[in-house]
Amino acid sequence: MNFAVVLLALLGSVWVLAVVEGWTTTGHLRPAAPLLSGLAHLGRESIVPRTPDRVFFEAAPVLLLIVAVLGAAVLPLAPTLVIADLATGALFINAALAYVLVALIMGGWGPNGAYAMIGGWRFLGQLIAYSMLIVMPITAAAMRAESLLNSAIVTSQAGLWNIVYQPLGFVLFFIAATALAFRSPFDLPTAAGELAGGVEAEYTGARLAVLRLARLVLVITLASATTVFYLGGWHGPLLPPWAWSLVKTLTVSSSMLLAGHHLPRIREADLLGWCWKLGIPLALLNIFVVGLLVLVVP
Amino acid sequence: MTSDPVMTSTGARQRQKRFAILQKWISRALAHNLSCLIVPGPDVALAHGLDVMATGMRITATPRDAGVLLIIGELSEKMSEAVTVLYAQMPRPRAILLLGGQTPSSLPSADVSAGLSQEALTDATEWLRRALAEGAFATSPEDFDASVLHARIEYVCPMHPEVVQDEPGSCPKCGMDLVAREAGKDECAGETTAEHGHHHDHEHHHGHEHHHGDEHHAHDHHHSHDHEHHRCGAHGHSEHDHSGHDHAGHDHGAMGFMSMVEVTRDLPRSADGLAMDWIEVPFGPVFPGLPGGLKLTLTLDGDGVTEGQATSLVGMATEGDEVDAGTFVEHLASAMPLAPVSYRLLACLAIERATGLEDDPATARARASALERERIASHLGWLAQLGRQLGFAWLTHRASALHLDIRHASQPQLIELGPALQALATRLGRTPLLKARLKGTGVLPAGSSGLRGPVALAADEAGDAWTRLWQRLAEITASLDVIKTTGEPELPVLRNIGHVSGVGEATVETPRGLAQLSLKLEHGRIKSYTLDTACSHHIGLVAKLVEGRELGDALVAVGSLDLSPWEVIS
Amino acid sequence: MFAQAFFVAVFGLAAIGFGVAVFSTASMVRSALALLFSQTAVGCMFLALQTEFLGVLQIMMMATEMSIMAIFMVMFMMDPGGLGGMDMTHQKRFSLGAGVLAGGTAVAVALLADWGPVTAQAPDAAMQTRALGMELLGRSMMIFETAGVTILTAMIAATAVAIPVHTLAGNGDKGASE
Repeated sequence: MNFAVVLLALLGSVWVLAVVEGWTTTGHLRPAAPLLSGLAHLGRESIVPRTPDRVFFEAAPVLLLIVAVLGAAVLPLAPTLVIADLATGALFINAALAYVLVALIMGGWGPNGAYAMIGGWRFLGQLIAYSMLIVMPITAAAMRAESLLNSAIVTSQAGLWNIVYQPLGFVLFFIAATALAFRSPFDLPTAAGELAGGVEAEYTGARLAVLRLARLVLVITLASATTVFYLGGWHGPLLPPWAWSLVKTLTVSSSMLLAGHHLPRIREADLLGWCWKLGIPLALLNIFVVGLLVLVVP
Repeated sequence: MTSDPVMTSTGARQRQKRFAILQKWISRALAHNLSCLIVPGPDVALAHGLDVMATGMRITATPRDAGVLLIIGELSEKMSEAVTVLYAQMPRPRAILLLGGQTPSSLPSADVSAGLSQEALTDATEWLRRALAEGAFATSPEDFDASVLHARIEYVCPMHPEVVQDEPGSCPKCGMDLVAREAGKDECAGETTAEHGHHHDHEHHHGHEHHHGDEHHAHDHHHSHDHEHHRCGAHGHSEHDHSGHDHAGHDHGAMGFMSMVEVTRDLPRSADGLAMDWIEVPFGPVFPGLPGGLKLTLTLDGDGVTEGQATSLVGMATEGDEVDAGTFVEHLASAMPLAPVSYRLLACLAIERATGLEDDPATARARASALERERIASHLGWLAQLGRQLGFAWLTHRASALHLDIRHASQPQLIELGPALQALATRLGRTPLLKARLKGTGVLPAGSSGLRGPVALAADEAGDAWTRLWQRLAEITASLDVIKTTGEPELPVLRNIGHVSGVGEATVETPRGLAQLSLKLEHGRIKSYTLDTACSHHIGLVAKLVEGRELGDALVAVGSLDLSPWEVIS
Repeated sequence: MFAQAFFVAVFGLAAIGFGVAVFSTASMVRSALALLFSQTAVGCMFLALQTEFLGVLQIMMMATEMSIMAIFMVMFMMDPGGLGGMDMTHQKRFSLGAGVLAGGTAVAVALLADWGPVTAQAPDAAMQTRALGMELLGRSMMIFETAGVTILTAMIAATAVAIPVHTLAGNGDKGASE
């Protein structure tokens, strides 16, 4: 039951996000566009490039979709509305998201094309840059809750959301989440202007449809994670808990899209430099501050 | 629309009756989701005043994602070849939409052809929509094939690039299986034939599974390119001797196991001192991050550029039949789609000088206005291209809209648009990440010669992409001020010159820098002419700008030069 | 109980299968990713054995570690796509002997060691995590901290060693050649 509801919520959010994305690029609000786009992809030929690594080529979009859904599976929409409230949920989401990288490497290597390959390895190059800024803010959020249970992390924010309690962690997590979802301005693995689509460059038809769906699900999963870890999850006045979760998730994911629309792509060297030299020390500082707060403030 | 669209044999065939309903929905979805690959590029479409987005079509970065091949204007022979490969890479159903040109012989005939105007584009798109909704183009009855899609297959040892055979087998030096590869065309300037089988792996062809005309296999020629490249590279790195490498292979070939250290001992090293695979990757001629028609060939070491060079596939050739003066003006203007007014003016001026006509002050002012208006439009087009390259969607959208407003604007309209242009510049100054992206990228090497236009003017300061951006933004403001004094813009029209003879020379400061034309007129016909443009000089800077840079920085550096491949004189 | 044994067996076989794939493929990337998925299957075995934290940790760490290994294989191997059909095996007899010996030892240890009484009920995942934390920051702290610092030192040292030394003479040569 929970499974079906969460999956439905996920798909609904993806649909809203796709409509918003279409609105920002074309300027028209067309609710049917995502469905039509999906159908059109099914109508197109799905080409396999010459001498591919067939296993990787086929598996990459599916793997990306699976890990995005697995990540969403441990994030609660409401106190009881979660597919699996694991005792190690905060760690599990890191584990699931680590396979985004694996999927991109496979998708980059599989089609046997230079653009895709560079895109895939590029994402690997950024691994430490974004993953540390995902893991450390989650650690800080778990420290406050004194639990790795995602529902406990939400409960711990009942009085004060983490965005206020540890704003530094929120900023770092939001940036890193955008980078992990490889959305603009961090779209280095799929940059159109640099790699003609990179990892996406060789996919067509149904495979491309799966890949694009997976990317949108990934954005929703990360937005949902931001909500759970930093925006108080289901907490909020008037509306029922699940509605608050959805509203917050959609706000975060839409703001990720809009930010990318108004920013040029970051230089890879800058991304690495800023994340390593500035982001990681700040994330450690955040952990230290949260540690002090947890110990000092009753 | 100039011609009535006719359904070709490739269209109108439904797949299977059983799925008729699903098929109907899919066809409708396809009609609603037109995506096009613009050839030569979105920059050329914009320069022709076409607003492709307004037709509801999505502009794609790759042929893989495109359903419509939108060809704008006449294609050069080299472009036609590249476009044929792109077409072959597009997934079916696919259609060709041709605006103001002829279908290249290597492509199937266009599904719709129309004139070069927004109305024609809209009509043609509507027609395509209807045809698609009715289930046309579902599957082609036969596979598309063309002679340029065929290549000779040769077999090469992954470790010993000098071992090239026509038959599969194993390497006589190390016993590894030889890897199939297409024998590429030799493209190195200055070398006529491929004496040892240069494999640039240029076009990948075969049936249906192609790579981009601008994108190629990376994995099936490891360690081969570095050698090939150095033999034919413009820098003449012939000092990379292969003998040591060969010996390593000999010594260990008998054992069937090779030591990595020994095998890579004599390979050229990257900047970080590691011997790694170098791959040669073409970017262009239809690449979203570069002006259409420009082909950048980069030797990549990871995502760092070891070396690279740019060539134009659409450059103008100055030889030609003798033509009358009026035709010449039209010819020159249409050959330079990114700056037609400037070259029209240049041709008119040169011819008028040859005939000894005096400048008429009123005409001169109107012409100057038109030139400045084009400068603004051209710089806005460059900004839109910068936005495409940087994934900065807002900039592309805004600059394109302003460009379309300004192209044919009158003086009062231009003055009215002044604040909007100012606001654009202010906004760019405030955009986060933009300065970090451009500052220090594309710094011109000291002592660069042949600089012209904005590139030369910006070179006095830091000489990087950031200063070039601000130079162009400053020029937009300056051009507006000029237009305020010179009055209403008017397109240059060649005055009646009669059947005179003479020699004339003129220069015009085009948006990209000074262009000089000298021509010989005999009885009202152009006997011969020489044209010197800024881009012909600037394209030579590319090699120095990209060397040793990260891929993204290299592309930004090339983009910041505002190269117009059309204005590269071959 | 049966389901648990079933999943342990499935993931165990998957781990072995991917492990075989590591050596049977010529492609470096496939080899590295096969190792990755072999380790992921081991992580799933942990999960099936009700050691949630260790399982999730294993699954997470291996994804990144093996991906990094994959790029190093691509960077340094001459035929990373495996298209040349290069034979990369050597010292076959020795490795066969060593493999059989190690495998035999592992089986012998598994069968002969005294594993103690079977726990009737494993503590729940939250308790395990807590206990693990107490262990890591208590009795075993020195061991883990020492191991961590040693690995970090080794990584930095290995990188430093891999970078060629730019001596003055070397720079002089470079200057002369330019």
